[in-house]
Parts: sequence; structure tokens; C-alpha cells
Amino acid sequence: MWQQVELALSQSAHRALVTLANFLPGFLALLLAICILTIVGALLAALLRRVLTLLRFDERLTHSSIIPFEWAPSHSPTLLITRVVFWGSVVLGCLIGISAFDAAYAGNSQMSFFLVPYLTHSVGAIILFIVGTLIARFLARTVLIEAVNARLSYARFLSLGVKWLVLVLTTAMVLDHLEIGGTVVDLAFGILFGGIVLTLSLAIGLGSRDIVSRSLEKNADSDVTPINQAPRSQTTSETLRHF
Amino acid sequence: MATTSTNPAALASDATTPAETGLLIHLASVSAEAIEPALSNLALAFPGQSFAVAIPDVAPNLTASPSFDKLRLIPYTPAAPSATNWVLTAADYFNTYKLALEHSKTACLILGANSHTVPAESIRNLAATTLSSGSDLAVGHYHPGPREGLLNSAILYPVSRALFCARPRFPLAVDLGVSIRMAERLATVAQRFTAAAQDDAILWPVSEASAAGFTLAEADIPARCAPSPASADLNSLLTQLCGSLFADIDTKAAFWQRMRSTLPARSIPQATQSNESIDVAPMIESFHLAYANLQEIWALVLPPHALLGLKHLSVMPQESFRMQDNLWARIVYDFILAYRLRTINRSHLLGALTPLYLAWVASHLILVHSGVSPERHVEEQALAFETDKPYLVSRWRWPDRFNP
Repeated sequence: MWQQVELALSQSAHRALVTLANFLPGFLALLLAICILTIVGALLAALLRRVLTLLRFDERLTHSSIIPFEWAPSHSPTLLITRVVFWGSVVLGCLIGISAFDAAYAGNSQMSFFLVPYLTHSVGAIILFIVGTLIARFLARTVLIEAVNARLSYARFLSLGVKWLVLVLTTAMVLDHLEIGGTVVDLAFGILFGGIVLTLSLAIGLGSRDIVSRSLEKNADSDVTPINQAPRSQTTSETLRHF
Repeated sequence: MATTSTNPAALASDATTPAETGLLIHLASVSAEAIEPALSNLALAFPGQSFAVAIPDVAPNLTASPSFDKLRLIPYTPAAPSATNWVLTAADYFNTYKLALEHSKTACLILGANSHTVPAESIRNLAATTLSSGSDLAVGHYHPGPREGLLNSAILYPVSRALFCARPRFPLAVDLGVSIRMAERLATVAQRFTAAAQDDAILWPVSEASAAGFTLAEADIPARCAPSPASADLNSLLTQLCGSLFADIDTKAAFWQRMRSTLPARSIPQATQSNESIDVAPMIESFHLAYANLQEIWALVLPPHALLGLKHLSVMPQESFRMQDNLWARIVYDFILAYRLRTINRSHLLGALTPLYLAWVASHLILVHSGVSPERHVEEQALAFETDKPYLVSRWRWPDRFNP
């Protein structure tokens, strides 16, 4: 009995070690590919920056273009190119690493079957998340400024609502891309998204109640007012001429 | 530095015959309905004289009328069409120079939309200033009411004066007189935009003239119906005009950083006291709303000192609501800098400026209502911009190091 238990334990330990031994080279290859391509990317970026600076690339581009682009010092064309080269190398490293990881396993390996698509999708998911966050921030700011200039007292609330709408949408897309959660994510997203939209609609509806009633009153008054009656005096802000 | 002279009342008798001196009058942005009155007005301005008038072919069936039969009409199809008519655009400058070259003219008078409302004497005055004073650019000097031309008084004039040391009160006047070399320079700049299908781009003739070292003059136009902007929305107006001005400032940074001279103060005309009540409450409310919501965006653009000034402004009662001249000057300078550095998206930046501009307007109107001459306040404001110019220069050169 004890011998059988010992045998079973040693066999399972052996299997675990074999799996680990199979996993480690692939994982190391993945890490190595990312590290090497990151270093190569950094070197290329540094080299490119030096060459472009020597060639006065920014000045040449500004002078030769038909429309004078106004590049900020912190967003110069040189910096843009070097960053694209660097991050391109990192992404390339990820892709090569994933291919190496995939190659380290036999085609019918369960580990390879689950992990490789997951790793590949995770690169897309990270990009999706970054883009979604940027869009959410941009839209939130746009809505906030426009709403403030339109004198809406619930401007911040509206801006936050839009931001969370986009973030929830992004999160749902990321989870869907990673194939995590399945229908739970769809359901939760539908409930959350619908809830936010309903909340915003109620908030805007309740907040705009006064505006709508004033507008209706104004229309009703104008319908009743005889044509020959003198028009109501306008407020000064309406008579201002800004240009 | 561009030299500036003022010719407020050139006499009709002094005006040399335009045809003799090679003056081309270009009725830019004239509508089909306004062509006949505009031509009649020109005939009235130069009675018995024959000279060339370029008009876009918006009215092909224009019949010769006895009221302007001595004018030599030059209908033309614009090489670069422009849909904007409330301000002179790149297409207008480009077309003017092209026409002047084709007809071998030495100077041009560009009259904007509603030119039929410009008094005949003012047109003569502008022509005389262009021809007799030897200036390269003659700019119309209008006399708006205290509630008119506010964006010009708040930003365009003081910034243009402080940075480019240019005296014209209306840097974006719609009535101009230009010498052929000035027209050429403007056309060269305009061509960059028209080549990229940006025919409606706004150019800044005053800063161009200053940068080129050309002479500037102003011609008095006391009464004129100013064309209204296409969009009544203040945000889009502010975005369009300030965006264009800030971009121009960025382009000419190497020039205006060297300009250190201060212009002498203008003579302030006697203002008529306005007893009409002012409803500035919506503007102040707009500022308060923005103060409560846009702090995080303003904090990216404005230094702590300006934010403190806005905090003080936000707690002021309406009766004593007053934005200090130097605070407004620094706010505008910080926004110009943020535009250059792209601290935030440029449309967001200009949108965040709108409530601050409304606060300035409210402050200005309250001051005017209290008896201060609007022109005096505008001049004091311009002086504050001149005084604070070293601040902009320092921050422009070392944006991270100099941040009080």
C-alpha cells in the first residue's frame, strides 16, 4: 500500500518536473526574445535619435513641408520616430517570443493549446486597453469643456458618465478578447452599460426639466403675443458682439 | 520694427487719382446683392474718376449703371475660392495679388464684406493713406461701441501690439490698403494654405508686415456695418481666431522675441456715458461653473499664481467683479505657451479659454458701466500685455524652469 502511494507520488512529481522542464525553455525563450528585442530597440532608437539630430531632421521637415507643422519640443518628429522604433521592437519581441514558446511544445500539448493563444491575445488586449483609456480620457475632457461652455450645471457628472461608459466598453472588449468570463461578461456589460445610459438619461432629463419648461413657456408666450406688440427686451449677453 | 503712422483725416482733395497711381480696388467677399450698392458707393467715393475694380463673378448679369459707369470692372473667377466672408482669408490675399500682377497695379485696396456701408469719405481716406503715406499696409481703424469687438479688445489687439510692436487697433480689419510688395508677401503666405486646400485660413497682415519690416498705417473708418461671423457660437469663433493667432505667434517666435520696444500710448477719445443696465450675471455664472469644473484642466496650463488669482476672482461679488489686467495678460500668455507646447489637445485648450474670456468681458463691461472709458481700459490692458512680455519670453524659452 505504502509503496503504491510512494510510486504514485514519485510519478506525479516526475510528471510535474517534466512539465516544468518542458515549460521553462519556452518561457525563457519568450523572456529572452522580449529582452533582446527591447535592448535592440533601445539601441536602434538611440542611434536613430543621434543620426536624426545630426541631420537636423526636425528643422528640415518643418521647412520642407507645404504647411508649417507646429511640433512641440516634447513631441518632435525625431522623438516620434524613435519611440515608434522602440515600441515596434518590443512588440516584435513579444511576437517572436510567443512563436518560440509555441515551438518549444509539441503540437498536441495542452499547455501550448491554452497558453499560446492567451499570450497572443494578451498583446492585443493591452493595446486595446491603452487605446480605450486614451479615448475615454479624451472624450471625458471634450464633454466636460463643451458642457461647461454650454452652461450645463451637471457637466462633471456628464463627463464622468461618458468616461465610465467608454471604460466599461473597453473592459468588456478586453475580457472578450482574452476569452475570459464568456457570457457573464456580456451580461454584466449589458447591465452596466444600460444602467449608466439610464442614469445619464434620467440625470439629463431631470436636470433639463427647467430648461424645457422655460423653452415651452417661451414658445407658448410667443404664440399668444400679438404681432404688433413690441418684442421683449433682450439680455445684454445677447447684444454683445465679440468680433 | 515696423513703423506706423496714422492718417486720420486725409482730405478728398489730397487723394491722387487712383487710376493714375495704379490702384486696384478688390471687393473681396462681396455678395451678389451687395455688388451694385458697393460699386455705387465706390463711384461716390471717387467721383468722375476711372479706376479698376475687381469683383468676383457672383453676379454675371451685372448691368452697367449710370451711378458707376466710369468704373472699370474686372470680373474674375477666383483662383482660390473662399466660403468665409466675415474676415479676409488666404484666398482673398492670393486672388488680390494675382489680379494686381495681371493688371500691373502698384497698390491694392481690399474691401471686405458689407463694403457698401463704408462711408465714401472713409474709402477715400484709406486710398489716400495707402498711396500718399508710402505705407505698405494701411489698416482700417473702426470705432466700435463698448459692447462690440470684444475679442479684438481682449486678445487680438493687446497681443498683436505687445508681441509685434504693431500699433493698429484692429489687427484683423476687413478693409486694407496694401502695397504690391505687401500683397506679394501675403500671397506667398496664403499660397502655403491654398496649396493645401485651406482657402479659408486666416492670415495676420499686421504681424506679417511687422516681421517683414514694412511700414504700417491706420485709416479712420468711423462708421461701418461689420460683417457677422458665420457661426454665432462663441466657442467656435474663439477657437478659430485664437487658434490662428496662436499658430501665427508660434511661427514668428524668432521675430517677436527680439522686439523689446514699447509703443507710445494712444490718445483716448471722449467716451459717451452708457446708462443702459448690463446683465453680466450669465457670464459670471459661466465663469463660476467653469471654476468648479475645469480646475484640473486649467492647472495643466496655468501656474499657481494665476490659479490663485482666479480663486480670488471666483469669490468676488458681482458688483466688484474685476479681473486684473496683469492676470488676464498672464492667462493669455500661458495659453499661448500651452498651445505651443501642446500641453493638452488644442481644441480643449481653446475651449477652456472661453469661460476665462467671458470673465474678462464681464469685468470690462462692469468697469465701463462704472464710468471708465472702454478705450482707456483697452489701452491699459494693452500696456499690461507689454509689461508682461518678458514673462512670455522667459516661459517660451524655458517652459519648465520658469514657472512661478
